[in-house]
Amino acid sequence: MKLAKSVYLLTVALTLSATLVGCKKGLDKTTSIPGGRNAAIADSGPTQPRDIDRGGIIPPFNPGGNNPGGNNVTGVPGFDPTKGDAGIGQAKGDFTGWIENPDEFANQTVYFEFDKSNVKPSEVGKLEEVAKKMKDAFKGKALRIEGHCDERGTEEYNRALGDRRALSVREKLVQLGLDPEMLPTITYGEEKPADPGHDDAAWRKNRRGQLILLSPPGSN
Amino acid sequence: MKNFTSLLAASAFALLVAALSTATHAAERIIVTEFKDALGFLKPVPVNVSGFTGEADSVLKNDLLFMGVQHVPLDQAQYLITGSAAGRVEGRLTDKPTKGIMLNKAYSGGSTRQQIHAFADDIAKALTGLPGIAQTKMAFKAEKGPGRSEIYIADFDGFGAQAVTSDNNIVSDPEWRGRDMLVYSSYKLGGPHIFSHHLTSGARNPVARHPGGNYSPGVSPDGSKVAMILSKGGSPDLYVANIDGSGLRQLTKTRESESSPCWSPDGKKICYGSRERGATLLFTISAAGGTPRLLSTSGAPTPTEPDWSPDGKWIAFTSQTRSGFNICIVPAGGGEAIVLVDGEDPSWAPNSRAILFCRGRDHAKQLSLLDVPTKQVKTLGRILESNSQPSWAK
Repeated sequence: MKLAKSVYLLTVALTLSATLVGCKKGLDKTTSIPGGRNAAIADSGPTQPRDIDRGGIIPPFNPGGNNPGGNNVTGVPGFDPTKGDAGIGQAKGDFTGWIENPDEFANQTVYFEFDKSNVKPSEVGKLEEVAKKMKDAFKGKALRIEGHCDERGTEEYNRALGDRRALSVREKLVQLGLDPEMLPTITYGEEKPADPGHDDAAWRKNRRGQLILLSPPGSN
Repeated sequence: MKNFTSLLAASAFALLVAALSTATHAAERIIVTEFKDALGFLKPVPVNVSGFTGEADSVLKNDLLFMGVQHVPLDQAQYLITGSAAGRVEGRLTDKPTKGIMLNKAYSGGSTRQQIHAFADDIAKALTGLPGIAQTKMAFKAEKGPGRSEIYIADFDGFGAQAVTSDNNIVSDPEWRGRDMLVYSSYKLGGPHIFSHHLTSGARNPVARHPGGNYSPGVSPDGSKVAMILSKGGSPDLYVANIDGSGLRQLTKTRESESSPCWSPDGKKICYGSRERGATLLFTISAAGGTPRLLSTSGAPTPTEPDWSPDGKWIAFTSQTRSGFNICIVPAGGGEAIVLVDGEDPSWAPNSRAILFCRGRDHAKQLSLLDVPTKQVKTLGRILESNSQPSWAK
C-alpha cells in the first residue's frame, strides 16, 4: 500500500518534471495554418469576378415559384399589402433597351432642400411642362426619374432619400395625369453628383430629381 | 531511497499545486470588475513584446491592440511576449510576476503574417477569453470614381485586398453571410437589386429584384434571412425575406424612408433608421413584425447606419452634426450615446470591442480600425479612389 502510493507520487513527479522541462525548453505544440493567402475563400485560388450578364448566373427572380414580379408579400397585421403602400406602386414594366434621352428635360431637373424629399411649390411649374409634353408630343414614351442627394448624409441613408425624392417627383407627375406604369424610378443616392465640389453651391445642384425621356426600341 | 523518492514526489506535487493556483489566480484576475472600465470593456492588458522585428513586430502589436492587449515598456508590463519570426513564428507568453508560462507555441504553414495572426489570436484568447479577430476578413466598397465601384474583401487589417466583383458599375453595402458568401446591392441590371455572391464558386443569385429600389441588405446572424429596404410599394420601407428572396414580408409602411437595417445577435430584432417622425431616428422592431420602438440616442443627433454588437450589448451608429459624422455607441436598449471618433458606417468585430469604419470626404474615403474603449484608431491603406461601407465577417 505504502509502496503503491510512492509509485503513484513518483509517476506524478516525473510527469510534472517532464511538463515543466517541456515548458522551459521545448514548445507545447505547433499550430499548422491551413490554406494559402486567402483561406476564407477556399483553396481554389483567387475569386474570379464574373460578369453577371454572362453564363446565366442570375436565374429569373421567381421565389416560391409564383409571381415573377416578386409581389408575393406577406404583410404585418394592421395593413393590407394588396391595397398598396403609402405611395403609388412602382412601374412594373421592363424598360431595358429603351432609348435614353437625358437632354430633353435637362432644364426641368427638380431641386430639393437639404434633407427634404417633398417637391417644392417653386419646382412644380417644371413638372407641369413635363407632364404637358409627355401627354402630347411624347405620347407612348416613358420617363425615368433619377433621385440624387448631396454628400451630406450617410451612403445608405442617401440611397433611401434619393429613392424617396424620385418617388415624390413621380407622385406629382401622376397627379398631373401621367400613367404611373410609364414612370420608372431609380435612386443614385450620393453616387453621381452633378457637381463634384464640397460647398453649398455644389450641394444645391446635387440634391435633384433628373428626368430621362425613354423611347421604345426602334422609335425616334 | 524510498524516502528520497517520496520527498521528491512531495516537493514536485507542491510545485504543481503552486503552479495550478497561480494559473487559476491569473484567470480570475482577468474577469473581475477592476479590470473593466466604466462601460464594461476590458481595460487593455499591458504586455511587453520583444524578439520580433519589422513586419512581424508591427503586425503582432497591431493585432493585439484591437483585441485589448497593449504593448507597453517593460517596467509597466504585466505579461511578456517573446519569440521570433525567423523561419517560422515561435512565441511564448509569460506572466511577468510569477514567471509562469501561459503559452509556448510554434506555427507552420501559410505566410509569416498569417502565423503572427494565429499567435496573436492565441495570446488574446489566453489573456482576455474573447475570440481572436486577427484571422478574420472584411468586405468593403471600393470606388474607382463617381458611379463606378467594386466589392473587395481583405484581411481585417486591410492587407491582401482582392476584388470580388468587376462590374464597372455601382455596387454597395456588402454584408457577410457566414464566411463564404456576401450579400450586396448592384446597379448592374438597373435597380438597384440585391444579390448573394458565393465567394468560392463566384455564383450570384438575386435576393431582391423588385420594381423600384432594392438596397441596404442586412443578413440575419444565422444566415437564413435578409432585412432590406425596398421601394416596390411606392416608398422605401423595411422588408424581410429568406436568403433566396422567398417569403417576403413587409415590416414598415411609412411615407418617409427607412434605411440600413441590422439584426440583434439573437436574430429576434431589427434596428433601422427612419424619417417617419421628420428627423432621422433609430427604431427597433421584432423581426417577425410588430410595432416599432424608438431607440433613444441622447447626445447624438441624426443617427443612421446602426450595427448591433455580437455580444448584444451595444448598437454602434453614425451621428451627423453640422461639423460632420461621428462614430457613436449606445446601449442596445437605448439611452445616453457615447461619441467615439469622427467617421461613418461602423461595423463591429466578432470580439465586440473593435470597429471598422470609414472617414473622409465623399469619393475619397479611407477605412480605419477603432479600439472602442481606448478610442485608438489606425487608418488602413486605400484601394482605388475611395473605400467605404466596411463589413466585418463575424
